[in-house]
Amino acid sequence: MRTHAFRAMGTDIELLLEADDDSGAFAAAESEFERLEQVMSRFRPDSELSRLNARGAMDVSPDLADVIGLAVAARARTGGRFDPTVHDAVAAAGYDRTFEEVEADTDAGTGSAPCGGRVELDGLHVELEPGFRLDLGGIGKGFAAERVAERLALAGPCLVNAGGDIALRGVPAEGVWPVGVEDGPTLGLARAGLATSGRDRRRWRRGGRELHHLIDPRTGTPAETDLVRVTAVGRNAVDAEVLAKVLLLGGEREAVAAGVPAVLVTADGRTVLAGGIR
Amino acid sequence: MTSSTRTYALLIAVVVFFLSWATVAAHPWRTAAVDPRVAALAQRRAALQQEALRVQHVLAQRWTTYRVALARRQAVNAATAQLASAALPAVSAPPIVAAPPATSTHTS
Repeated sequence: MRTHAFRAMGTDIELLLEADDDSGAFAAAESEFERLEQVMSRFRPDSELSRLNARGAMDVSPDLADVIGLAVAARARTGGRFDPTVHDAVAAAGYDRTFEEVEADTDAGTGSAPCGGRVELDGLHVELEPGFRLDLGGIGKGFAAERVAERLALAGPCLVNAGGDIALRGVPAEGVWPVGVEDGPTLGLARAGLATSGRDRRRWRRGGRELHHLIDPRTGTPAETDLVRVTAVGRNAVDAEVLAKVLLLGGEREAVAAGVPAVLVTADGRTVLAGGIR
Repeated sequence: MTSSTRTYALLIAVVVFFLSWATVAAHPWRTAAVDPRVAALAQRRAALQQEALRVQHVLAQRWTTYRVALARRQAVNAATAQLASAALPAVSAPPIVAAPPATSTHTS
């Protein structure tokens, strides 16, 4: 098993490849992450997403059109619980620059911003409702992990772990990819995606109040939920990432009732296995 | 001048005098005094109109709040129903394995 680790998209990336020689596949994967970050980053002023947010409407690349299409479909599928138009709400909460640059604790106040803005996608033309901007942070890493896995799979069975969002192609000789879940069991993945969302990291304080980056689109403010962290299993990393956020926002009762395979960590420190994981 | 002419002249003078006196006594240069009851009624009417506007404003605010809360509740119900009916992609639960993890997932 060959492994390769690096940083991209503000997080740690880990590549696992079952092959004798990566033949430049790791370098290509790293380049692909960099390329996709330049497409989807809201922190780079010259990224394609930043240009779209500034203009409100433009023709975009197929990659950006794809990920926006997935985000809009996820919003429709989840009744708005997942929403790509949370950009201004995240910024209003204080996360208006890369997390490394966000001040950990200041007396500055926070605000909220409306979510649920209209996003028109017609082929490669995207038009945003005036006053709304896109933040693809809730789906971008899963999207990139799937894209990179697709490329890496040319060299052999592989796993791409983009800061906890995991995409797979093929299985290793052991039959499954053993993936450890923080505060939970080790799951044997063969044909699925896995992602974790939580409010236990990327936290900061404003005016004495603790905040985090997961916005509830219904309120436009950091979500209040009895769950600290959710690891969800989906058809792929994008589905898993959306599911993890939706389950986290719904809270323990709804997450268990949903029947989605997931590992839930509650605010009172319990680990709950849901959706048939046993 | 005959006595009848003098009498007529005197009568005309008397009539003119009384007409002048009546005109002056009527104080036509003064405006009519406002009845305090009418003033009170006008004041009351204005106050009621202002109160009605305030109540309408409060009602409009409450109606908006209710509609927003209703929309949110409906969205939550729709999302819950979708989740419950497995409208989201269903995958089978992966097994728990004893092997050491090749990698791990956590909040990024």
